Amino acid sequence: MNRVHVTKTILWMLVGLSTAVALTRYMFGLGATTNLTDATPWGLWIGFDVMAGVALASGGFVITAIVYIMRQERFRPIVRPAVLTAFLGYVAVILSLLVDLGLPWNIWHMMIYWNPHSPLFEIGWCVMLYTSVLLLEFSPVPLESTSRWARVRSVLMKLRFPLVLLGIMLSTLHQSSLGSLVLIMPFKLHPLWYSALLPILFFISAVALGLVMVSFEGLATSWLYRRKPETDLVARLCKAAAWVLGLYLVVRLGTISAAGQWALILDGSWESFLFVFELLVMAVIPMILFAIGRVRRAVSGQWIGCSLVVLGMVLNRINTGGLTMIGATGDFYFPSWMEFAVTAGILSFMALVFLSAVEHFHIWSEQPHEREADPHASPEFSRSGEVWLGSPPVAARTRYSFAFVMALAVGVALMPGERIRSSGVSQVSAQAARGGDTLFIDGNRDGFGVAFDHPRHVSANGDKASCVLCHHMNAPLDKQSGCTTCHRRMYQMADAFQHDWHASPKGASIACVICHEEGVYRTAGSALPCDACHRDLVPPGVTIEVKSYRAPSYVDAMHDLCVSCHRRKTLELTDRPDHAQCRTCHETPLPDYLQPDMADLLRRPGYNHVVLPAVVKGSN
Amino acid sequence: MSKAILTDVTKCIGCLECVSACNAEYDLPVDVPTVWQKNDGLSAKNWTSILRQQPEGRYVRIQCRHCLEPACAAACPVGALQRTAEGAVVYDENKCLGCRYCMMACPFGIPRYDWDRALPYVRKCTLCIDRIRDGREPACIAACPEDATIFGEREDLLVLAHQRIADHPDRYIDRVWGEHEFGGTGVLYLSDVDLEFLSYRPAMDIALPKTIEAAMQSVAPAFVGMGAFMLGLNWIIKRRQKLQGGHGSEEE
Repeated sequence: MNRVHVTKTILWMLVGLSTAVALTRYMFGLGATTNLTDATPWGLWIGFDVMAGVALASGGFVITAIVYIMRQERFRPIVRPAVLTAFLGYVAVILSLLVDLGLPWNIWHMMIYWNPHSPLFEIGWCVMLYTSVLLLEFSPVPLESTSRWARVRSVLMKLRFPLVLLGIMLSTLHQSSLGSLVLIMPFKLHPLWYSALLPILFFISAVALGLVMVSFEGLATSWLYRRKPETDLVARLCKAAAWVLGLYLVVRLGTISAAGQWALILDGSWESFLFVFELLVMAVIPMILFAIGRVRRAVSGQWIGCSLVVLGMVLNRINTGGLTMIGATGDFYFPSWMEFAVTAGILSFMALVFLSAVEHFHIWSEQPHEREADPHASPEFSRSGEVWLGSPPVAARTRYSFAFVMALAVGVALMPGERIRSSGVSQVSAQAARGGDTLFIDGNRDGFGVAFDHPRHVSANGDKASCVLCHHMNAPLDKQSGCTTCHRRMYQMADAFQHDWHASPKGASIACVICHEEGVYRTAGSALPCDACHRDLVPPGVTIEVKSYRAPSYVDAMHDLCVSCHRRKTLELTDRPDHAQCRTCHETPLPDYLQPDMADLLRRPGYNHVVLPAVVKGSN
Repeated sequence: MSKAILTDVTKCIGCLECVSACNAEYDLPVDVPTVWQKNDGLSAKNWTSILRQQPEGRYVRIQCRHCLEPACAAACPVGALQRTAEGAVVYDENKCLGCRYCMMACPFGIPRYDWDRALPYVRKCTLCIDRIRDGREPACIAACPEDATIFGEREDLLVLAHQRIADHPDRYIDRVWGEHEFGGTGVLYLSDVDLEFLSYRPAMDIALPKTIEAAMQSVAPAFVGMGAFMLGLNWIIKRRQKLQGGHGSEEE
């Protein structure tokens, strides 16, 4: 296994993993897979994949401008890889959008429903058009291997200059419009990143990043295929990048100066540190490195400088696209592993397409020889499995398919079932009611509960006989279990039975056949009821029938219990028409003998007027 | 003519009848707290809510502000959000593609998303546009027992609001929230406490669509200008290379 094989296997695994996540996302929605919230509706997929992705794909327009517009012939060898990477980058952006958009099948709506005032509308159109332009710019390369399409190819070659020109014009628009995207949020974006000149800053930085990205790709692929790196060309690109980065710094610091925001940089907030770090990494340090001739001509210097710019630019796009809005929204967002997996998977897929194109078409001046692309090479033998894997292409396909399928299976197994089932409901444990004769029932302790007059309810419902109206079940060996013993969760069903504990040798260690009859399919419905063993579980005379081993949420249990009884009473007590209304319970006057902390809760102004809408709707 | 709502914070008793009425009018499912809600009570299943915790001792009903120049409508790439002649900012789910730019652009953080659905839509108050067109007032207004929140022409409500301030200068802060904030909103507030917390940062008096206007107007000039610049550059360099002799770019 050489570098290429190992890399491709890893890439296929990431693709498999992201496929599993994408399937989950389409079946169960964005909430099941992402950490996005109403306060942070844009996350990694917009901040990195779209905002940074478009910027990272800027190499295409920069290099075509250098070679075709400025006629710098020595850069011609890197035009093809640059255009191909740009095209794949834009496809990656579109794929990310298809995952991120809530209704991705409506993405074409931008063509028929126009809102020309929206920056996103303009970006959408530019990305659509520019991706098509890049496809046309690149397609002569795959077409040169066949003679059948010679006519088409010659037409495309004639169209190349206009296509390049159109590509540069379109890139100018959407690279800068990505900056306009956040201009509408002055109330959210941190002032150090907000500037009316954001579109211009975005465009300048995209040009710098384009120069650096082309160098970076050259360095990375020459490492991968053990090619000789184009050190001289990269050094020239880095020198140009140093100038553009300098221009960027001047404009960026100029906007800070003009807005009088120097004090913000020094105020010691986390944003100020982030700003300094971002500026150092994306512009200042690489500019200095690239300005030194010896550094920019050394492969290690190129690696360090290019990596810094790429990292810094990505950080800049993420900061502008949402990270520095945290200060205003107060909602801390960190992507879920599934969001990272999808991002990695899409990039991996594009990398695989790139490597495949490099092996099959004439992208570089010298085409790397890959055994797996050669159907006439001798077959491979796997020592561990002791099997013939077939010819190298077949063997490679087998390996990659295995990596993909296994990663897909692992991804499906890792899907958080709890998260999918609960569909985002906050997990709040119900707290037991407090107090003596007057119980303060407030399961989530938010101070908007009910003060329940226990003696009055007892005397009004027949003293001793009244207990079982509410206390319908006890835990085994207990005579007075509280509601929260089974109704453990505030808003969700809870398991009141604990099947695994009953079956486990460390728990009750009961054989299956004791509860589940032999020969009948084993379900909760066909099993023995609890009181077949636990005879003290249900007190005699209980009117409430327990139908399931799953206890309803505390809120539902309390409301069902009180409201259903109060509704019946409304018919009996003709003088109390409001007996089943929210405020009957939620407006009980404050008893003065409550414990001090409860009294404090009850004294809060909201307490006496709260009418829970859920009661009205859930009670019929 | 533009309809509006005036909410008087000093009159609200926090009974939540408006919330119940809204939920009943649109048959919204029971709302339970979810991890993706903000702590203001609004969600895809709850389009208006009453802030009970802050400020102390007051109830502030929040809902979509129906801005005169809505940022969400300017942001939406397909125009799924539109301001109608009646003054309501309404959402067309048949156009929406789910980019959630409207949620990012709203200075009050109002639009909510169906995070738990595989077919998600943006959800927010509609100002009961169908009821208005039938000549009725919004459901929440009809339900309010204290007339703390009232409905009418925006101009009339502004006059009324300033009249109330003039009548009870000791009772109100001399400011109608929503008169100028973000270019003016269709939901006005009278209050005896500061309501700055209703928007992300202290409200500005600029209409947000204005912030992208300059950038969007320079799109066409930038497009043409870059094309002309590139052609000119190409012509100059080509000519210089020709004068220096040879070294021209051969095709392919």
